[in-house]
Amino acid sequence: MTTETTVDVIDKVLGLGPSSPLLALREQRAKLKHLTQTSYVAALHPTDPRNFSYAERATLAARMAALWTSQELLAHYRELATAEGATGDVLSIADPAWKPEDEASRLTVILRHIDLVTKNPKAATRENIEKLYAAGLDDRDIVTLAGIIAFVNYQVLVVAGLKMLRDN
Amino acid sequence: MSDAVHEFTLDALEWQPYVKPVDLQTATPEQLDALKVTPSNTKVSAYVLVLAQETEMLAERSPLFNDIMYSDGGLSRGGRELGALAASFVNHCIYCAQVHANRFIQLEKRREVVEEIYQNGLDADLGEYDQALFNFGVDLTAHPDNVGVYQFYHLRETGLSDLEILDLIHSVAIFGWANRLMHTLGEPHRKD
Repeated sequence: MTTETTVDVIDKVLGLGPSSPLLALREQRAKLKHLTQTSYVAALHPTDPRNFSYAERATLAARMAALWTSQELLAHYRELATAEGATGDVLSIADPAWKPEDEASRLTVILRHIDLVTKNPKAATRENIEKLYAAGLDDRDIVTLAGIIAFVNYQVLVVAGLKMLRDN
Repeated sequence: MSDAVHEFTLDALEWQPYVKPVDLQTATPEQLDALKVTPSNTKVSAYVLVLAQETEMLAERSPLFNDIMYSDGGLSRGGRELGALAASFVNHCIYCAQVHANRFIQLEKRREVVEEIYQNGLDADLGEYDQALFNFGVDLTAHPDNVGVYQFYHLRETGLSDLEILDLIHSVAIFGWANRLMHTLGEPHRKD
């Protein structure tokens, strides 16, 4: 499996070595830290990826990291996407400026949803969910997508907050 | 059933999904396990039944949420609710805000703090300690790419320990997660 489950992703992207005071602080909340990592695996590399391949999940995560200019997570997810076998158009997903040629495709609708819910979740309405159904997503696909978006945004916020603790 | 509620309120609300929830009668053993359904506990909210469409994520998310909001030591329970409330106001999650505003009132017995936030939203004028927590929560939620160092120092000046700040970061961040589920997958209605 290409998503390493034993290496804590947040420690890794923040470069927290064994002597880091922030690592020691995170260890005071060991359960939370562990569940953040298992949630990462559940979102990016679940046992059954079903209709969202591992490569697609990693590139969608890279796109969200890019939308928030979270350089550490963007670098991590780009690397992960390649390791999960993303190539061509799938790899392009990571660039927020990139748009699929087919305006009505499943991917176009998914990317619009990701961009909206990442940057401006308050503007989301029932209509946005209807668009996902219309693009062919089923109930579980929609919850899967929502879960990936929600997790990565959580991770972006945690990393941003931890950086303040690390650097100030 | 009443119309959907689109304005912040402290009234009791009921969340109604846009997406089909899992049917408990036909749920798989994995779904029942993630839902923590036992013979003595069969009450599961529509929200959690929707999330059960994706069992593996739900199984990790529920204990994570509970640990962030209820673990011992560190930031007070009320402080964590204030972080949740700040995030929910920025993300306009009416249901999340209602639940956690009422929980703050229950825990802190300081209704005036919630009333000020409901009156003036992100511009709420609060006491120094609450203001520091609230402003940091708003800032981290609204632009994690540019969190004001000033807001961070404000937390330190208010006397928060590193562990308390860590707890605040997580309570805000987990609502960056919860708001993006609750506000996008359904909407609240006033209870009749």
